[in-house]
Amino acid sequence: MTIIAKRINIPVNRSEGDLEISVEIENNVVVNAWSSGTMFRGFEEMMIGRGPLDGLVITPRICGICSLTHLYAAAEALDELAGITPPDNALRLRNLALMCECIQSDLRQAVLMFMADFANQKVYAELPLAAEALRRYKPLSGKSVFSVIKESKRLLEIIAIIGGQWPHTSFMVPGGVTFRPELPELLQCRMICSHFHNWYEEQVLGCSLARWREVESCTDLDNWLAENPAHAGSEVGFFIRFSRQAGLDKFGGGNDCFISYDSLRLPEKSSIQGQSGHLLQAGFVKKEKLHKFDSRLISEDLRRTWYNSQYPPLHPEDGETLPGIPVINDDDRYSWIKAPRYQDMAAETGPLAEALIADDQLIKDIVKNQGSSVMVRELARLLRPAVFLPPMATWIDELIADHDAPFYHKVKEIPDGSGSGMIQAARGALGHWVEIRNQRISRYQIITPTAWNGSPRDTAGRRGPWEEALIGTPIKDEQNPVAAGHVIRSFDPCLVCAVHTISRRKKAGQLNLGI
Amino acid sequence: MTTTYWIQGGGCGGDTMSLLSSGLPDIAELLHYLQIEPLWHPSFSIISAAEHDKLIERIINGRQELDILLIEGAVIRGPDGTGMFDQHRGEPKQTLIRALAQKANFVVAVGTCAAFGGFGPDTVIDACGLQFRRQQRGGFLGSDFLSRARQPVINLAGCPCHHDIIIGTLSALAQGVKLKLDEFQRPLQWFGTLVHQGCTRNEYHEYRIEESEFGEMGCLFFHMGCAGPLVPGICNKQLWNQRSSKPRAGVPCFGCTDPEFPKSTPFFQTRNIEGIPLSLPKGVSRAHYMVYKGMAAAAAPERLKQRTSRV
Repeated sequence: MTIIAKRINIPVNRSEGDLEISVEIENNVVVNAWSSGTMFRGFEEMMIGRGPLDGLVITPRICGICSLTHLYAAAEALDELAGITPPDNALRLRNLALMCECIQSDLRQAVLMFMADFANQKVYAELPLAAEALRRYKPLSGKSVFSVIKESKRLLEIIAIIGGQWPHTSFMVPGGVTFRPELPELLQCRMICSHFHNWYEEQVLGCSLARWREVESCTDLDNWLAENPAHAGSEVGFFIRFSRQAGLDKFGGGNDCFISYDSLRLPEKSSIQGQSGHLLQAGFVKKEKLHKFDSRLISEDLRRTWYNSQYPPLHPEDGETLPGIPVINDDDRYSWIKAPRYQDMAAETGPLAEALIADDQLIKDIVKNQGSSVMVRELARLLRPAVFLPPMATWIDELIADHDAPFYHKVKEIPDGSGSGMIQAARGALGHWVEIRNQRISRYQIITPTAWNGSPRDTAGRRGPWEEALIGTPIKDEQNPVAAGHVIRSFDPCLVCAVHTISRRKKAGQLNLGI
Repeated sequence: MTTTYWIQGGGCGGDTMSLLSSGLPDIAELLHYLQIEPLWHPSFSIISAAEHDKLIERIINGRQELDILLIEGAVIRGPDGTGMFDQHRGEPKQTLIRALAQKANFVVAVGTCAAFGGFGPDTVIDACGLQFRRQQRGGFLGSDFLSRARQPVINLAGCPCHHDIIIGTLSALAQGVKLKLDEFQRPLQWFGTLVHQGCTRNEYHEYRIEESEFGEMGCLFFHMGCAGPLVPGICNKQLWNQRSSKPRAGVPCFGCTDPEFPKSTPFFQTRNIEGIPLSLPKGVSRAHYMVYKGMAAAAAPERLKQRTSRV
């Protein structure tokens, strides 16, 4: 007997910006998915004709949770245009700020936005860990929520000390940074960093970083969980136990292609080492095999979007953002998000991609043995601070030792030409491509991580990564399809960044449901 | 018990992030201390979409009291007035905003986008603020709009709005304290002072020790585009993230509490006539200012000229 698929629309909140997904369900399992946001903001259009430095002020305002990330990319694009390498101290400050922002985003997203669903008694009351989940994650009052609000804002004080405020500062400029922190300020940063480090070990990991680094396989992880109550009761421990009870290790896999850019440029003189002059390496992983990354192989496919499409798909340096007329209720063209492709392939980006490309043994072992899933994607996010905190402390120490050295190299003017800033944001690969003509911005193109993850189909009909990840998701209750929300939120969607989205209207006879 | 409903229009979520950075109380403590019940916040609420629909219905038909409606982000009216560039459940979000505004005792525009349009008025999205489109009164709800408590929209300007202002306004409204508003409906309690007030570079400003380069100690007003002496705000009085402010860290104030933010001329540049900024501090006459600044520069002590005084 043929079972007619039922189509439901699911609005997703607790992401940055509004998002609506539409899924087709057969036998309580998602068989097809379309992803579409609900808002169009048109920032690229706003940039044309503005002063060459204006990207430093305007692009951070694309996004409240990752504003500094846009600043970093905009400043790198201008460094390239000006042909300048910022002094070591400027690189240390930029990196430090970016890593603070990334960590606050990771922890707020994980605890306030992702795990908030674990507190939903209408969905999870039957699970043995439900009562504890409620104590931890109840919106704006749970024990873990309280603690994450307190500690994440305290970490952000580092950015305020070196850059004035968070969010929406513009302290990174071509040639370096605007501020030369004195010893007292740097010492404060060091204390805040140490305080956060201790809290992360005690509450999030439940053990020291050194002990955590010994966890390199699925077996190690099980042993670690069983070792003592501090491990099992930590945020990471509880997350894993709850996720297993809720089956989050069983679905939400994606398309097995991962992409990352080089990020966090290393100071020339530093005890922190890395390949390619960056702490995080670029790469493209397809079916567990790592390939060398070449930025020329990126293109933006507009065939299924509401933009006036170019064919063949163009590299962002040549790309344009020309909104067409949106046709609602159309599966052929259905999104304002462009579809970035790498060698014509859709690719997932974010902490999971970073961990796989960095050869993280635990994450690789989980993906190898259990496949990619909602659980491992969110786990990679919760564990990223463990990678960032040690170099952050080292860079502050180096700043303290070397605080008389320059923080800025003079840049007289930004010459005409083009430049790019490609970095890793909290949510993954972010690129800014800017072109200056006659001392004015003549083109500004941005590919955000959410464009990679939440892209629509392309000319060949290939789904975007989270459309693909939704396939196979169990939908127990169409009135409250919380599992589909888990899949989407595990990508940490940032729709205000993707900026090019508008929603589909509900169809006649179609259920319009929510999570 | 005070109820709130937070809705996001065309914005970046930065005001929510600012709010999360508040010192004492932080947002969770505030809700607890003042018995505020957030009926909905898009970043934190976990009720299902169906329950959310019912909540909206209850507010609109008067069965659920709504004390404070907070709007973050501009009201998007494009394309062609349909509002469909920003929608909620298949309907333009502007329809929902209007319906909720009519039911709330107080309507609060959080951030410059919600107050004046911010990043939206000049593009195809045709956005505006709740009662202003840039400086022009009217906006989305119209100049005559009054909330159920007979108050116009309270504009908490800033990009983002300072966390202490959001927390302070919520506290005041929850405790029944009346807020006095300026000509752009910003509460004077916070917007009755200029960003300049309390800047650590003020001594350099006083003696007109001016910078044209990043990373220096002097004043950023004369060449670097700083709007600190021009716009209201508490950035140098109640510090950001309890620590600092942009001008203290060498970043010019971009004037984000002004209805005309973002300005159309390039940032990081001050437009001048004979070395004196085109825009002068509020209420100052050009002739007097030129004489005063000329004398001040002549009187500047060596320690400032040498930039040995820390900021």
